[in-house]
Amino acid sequence: MLYLELLVQGLIQGSLYAMIAVGLTLVYGMLRILHIAHAGLFTLGGYLAVTVMNATGSLGAAALAAMASAALAGMAIYRLAYQPILDKPPFVALVASIGLYIALEEVFRLVFGPYGLAFAQPPLQTPVAALGLSLKAGELAMAATALIAMAGLYAFANHTRLGTAWRATVDEPQIAESFGVNPVRVRYLVFLIGSALAGLAGLFVAVLSNQVEPTMGAVPSYKALAIIVLGGLGDVRGSLVAALALGVVEAFGTIYLGDVLDRDALAFAFMIAVLMLRPQGLLGGR
Amino acid sequence: MRDTIQLSAGEVLAVEGITVQFGGIRAIDGVGFTVKRGELLGLIGPNGAGKTTMLKTITGLVKPKEGTVRLNGEAVAELAPHRRARAGLALTHQIVRPFRSMSALDNVTLAAGHRKTANVLGALLHLDRRAESARARELLERLGIAQYADAPSGTLPLGVLKRLEVARALAIEPSILLLDEPLAGLNHVEAERLADTVRELNADGMTIVIIEHNLREVQRICQRLVVLDNGRKLAEGLPGEVLANPDVIAAYIGKGGDDARVA
Amino acid sequence: MGAYELSLFTVIGINVILALSLNLISGYCGQISLGHAAFYGIGAYAAALAGKAGLPFAACVVLAMVVAGSLGALVGGISLRVRHDFLAITTMGVGFLFLGVVRSSDWLGGELGISQIPAAGFDKPMYLVLVLACAALVAAFSVYIKRSWMGAAFDAIADDEDTAGVLGIDVARNKIVAFAIGTALAGLAGALYAYYTRFIGLDSFGFVTSISVLSMVVIGGIGSVWGVVGATVLLTLMPELFRFINDYKLLVYGGLLFAVMRFAPGGLAALIGGGLTRLRRA
Repeated sequence: MLYLELLVQGLIQGSLYAMIAVGLTLVYGMLRILHIAHAGLFTLGGYLAVTVMNATGSLGAAALAAMASAALAGMAIYRLAYQPILDKPPFVALVASIGLYIALEEVFRLVFGPYGLAFAQPPLQTPVAALGLSLKAGELAMAATALIAMAGLYAFANHTRLGTAWRATVDEPQIAESFGVNPVRVRYLVFLIGSALAGLAGLFVAVLSNQVEPTMGAVPSYKALAIIVLGGLGDVRGSLVAALALGVVEAFGTIYLGDVLDRDALAFAFMIAVLMLRPQGLLGGR
Repeated sequence: MRDTIQLSAGEVLAVEGITVQFGGIRAIDGVGFTVKRGELLGLIGPNGAGKTTMLKTITGLVKPKEGTVRLNGEAVAELAPHRRARAGLALTHQIVRPFRSMSALDNVTLAAGHRKTANVLGALLHLDRRAESARARELLERLGIAQYADAPSGTLPLGVLKRLEVARALAIEPSILLLDEPLAGLNHVEAERLADTVRELNADGMTIVIIEHNLREVQRICQRLVVLDNGRKLAEGLPGEVLANPDVIAAYIGKGGDDARVA
Repeated sequence: MGAYELSLFTVIGINVILALSLNLISGYCGQISLGHAAFYGIGAYAAALAGKAGLPFAACVVLAMVVAGSLGALVGGISLRVRHDFLAITTMGVGFLFLGVVRSSDWLGGELGISQIPAAGFDKPMYLVLVLACAALVAAFSVYIKRSWMGAAFDAIADDEDTAGVLGIDVARNKIVAFAIGTALAGLAGALYAYYTRFIGLDSFGFVTSISVLSMVVIGGIGSVWGVVGATVLLTLMPELFRFINDYKLLVYGGLLFAVMRFAPGGLAALIGGGLTRLRRA
């Protein structure tokens, strides 16, 4: 029973990681940028969700606000921050992105105050019995949302014209361009989708912890970086597998290895161990 | 079937019974040949013949299923790239790769300092670059690109970069020089001039293996040709005879006339 | 010189050593590390524990360098397996692993840190002189490496490691040596820091510190000794200069990091170098 509970908790946590990591890995796959500022979009989503929910009482409006604000901010970051430095060495974009993230955290602190915000009436708190376990409705909703989002993303990439253009731009940018695909539009699309998912993830973390604070993006985003590296950098499927694997490893590790290493250190020990054995990531071919 | 080779004192490179397998496909099937000291050998064949795989086997990037590669009598296929370089193997890439942060001269100077950089910690004790720099300048002159010595290598045109690659490879004082399609991408005149330079380097005693699609130039400068087709050695011998061999002509024409640029 | 200036300059000296130590790894040899603070921390903890065990100051400093350098060589070994962005994230992981190990080890002080580190045996002005002397030595050593053939090999590896290998350069060993030297010097900075504050805790060696050090290197102009020294002095002084806008100082810091990369990706060294060239032409 404990095993099942740990597995389920791990998968739920993993589904959160997946929602954050997808955007990161999409951006990396297309632009080869480690998009640290992505974590700021996640935080933005959390803040907007709490603010809108408290003002309107509607969870739907909150979700919409979280996704829309993160998506807009993500596209703005691409246009204003990354596009002009795409031809520079990779550490340039990395450090720029780190600077941007630090600045974003500070903006949240200045605008929303240092102590964070909470829901006036936290939604999705009802306990739900499933598989003999008692879970919060929010946890189930998060896992379900992640599943739907990934399925939707898969369908979009494989069964729509825009999706095909997108995959082509990632795999064969020159060929895609010669077929009339506009790579810049596809990049906006990637930032739109990835950032919206990060904003949504921010909403769920706000719901589950009933708290948003300026630094809430830090740890999930470092983990998400570990995840996309484990997934093979730029490989969406690999990142999804890595996200779920990391969630489960953390859930079991905290119970069985908790005395030796804390949760975050465990995640990175797992990453380093895997990379030593498979330098190309979990699914990567040699 | 295997080609056999006899050991002789004048051999720099000996490739023996090489078989390379990629999954179910035999990229190379029991190929062997030798390169004698002072020779200029052309390794040719239509696309997909296994030339690049053979080159990668010689340089150790591909591990053969069977067979050995010996450089001056020493088996090299297991060695890391820097160890093979020190054993006397130099190569230039088909796609030029200068150190873009350095000037042309510094590119060659760095390679000329190979004895000093060979000892990682010892390298810390050496500051003087005058001898290497002078040697590098000589090599740039030798390749006819001395006027570009101080230019940042990232800005140089392809024709100059191809020559820079050769100068840099020569700077490690190799016993054999492997050139991977040095003429590719050059126009008619540039190709002819670089081929002349290669022939002069050989005349001065450098042992050279050239992998090339430009059959016209190959025929003009090489002393001997080895032809690969479908992973096997199809022919070997004097350029005139080999290129007149009906099997060789059939191999090239069968693959489409694109590669057969025999004028 | 008052107590405030003394401590400010001491911190600047320590940061200069730390930034130059990362510059050897990331600037010279091209291996981006996002976990450099771990080695700063390892040096600090090694020196602190050795000092509390009764070893003299000099021995503690040497020990700190040896311990940090040995573990750094180990991480250098990791850089042989993973490259580029994979390496950056792996080193970030090493940083978090260090924090995790210390946090759950009582003999390393856990969450509480290590206090009552013995005094180095110098008064504050003398300690400042010592730190600045070390910083000057590290700067001189950096310039020397750059001019030596080791620096040439590092340059080649930073530029294109495959080609460097083809030209006879032992890429693996050079990387390990770069990591070993760089992390040993980070250990030196850590030891000097431990004896300066005489109390160490995890807060000083986290991801934020790794990022700050990398910022000093990158804003200075990756690989340039004088650029890095200049940027370190500036970035260390900045929070002090901007104290009148205390609430905004991190915002300014983040914004500056971003702005330098966005508008002057070559850093201060390129900016000033370019400015000088323009002046001469004018």
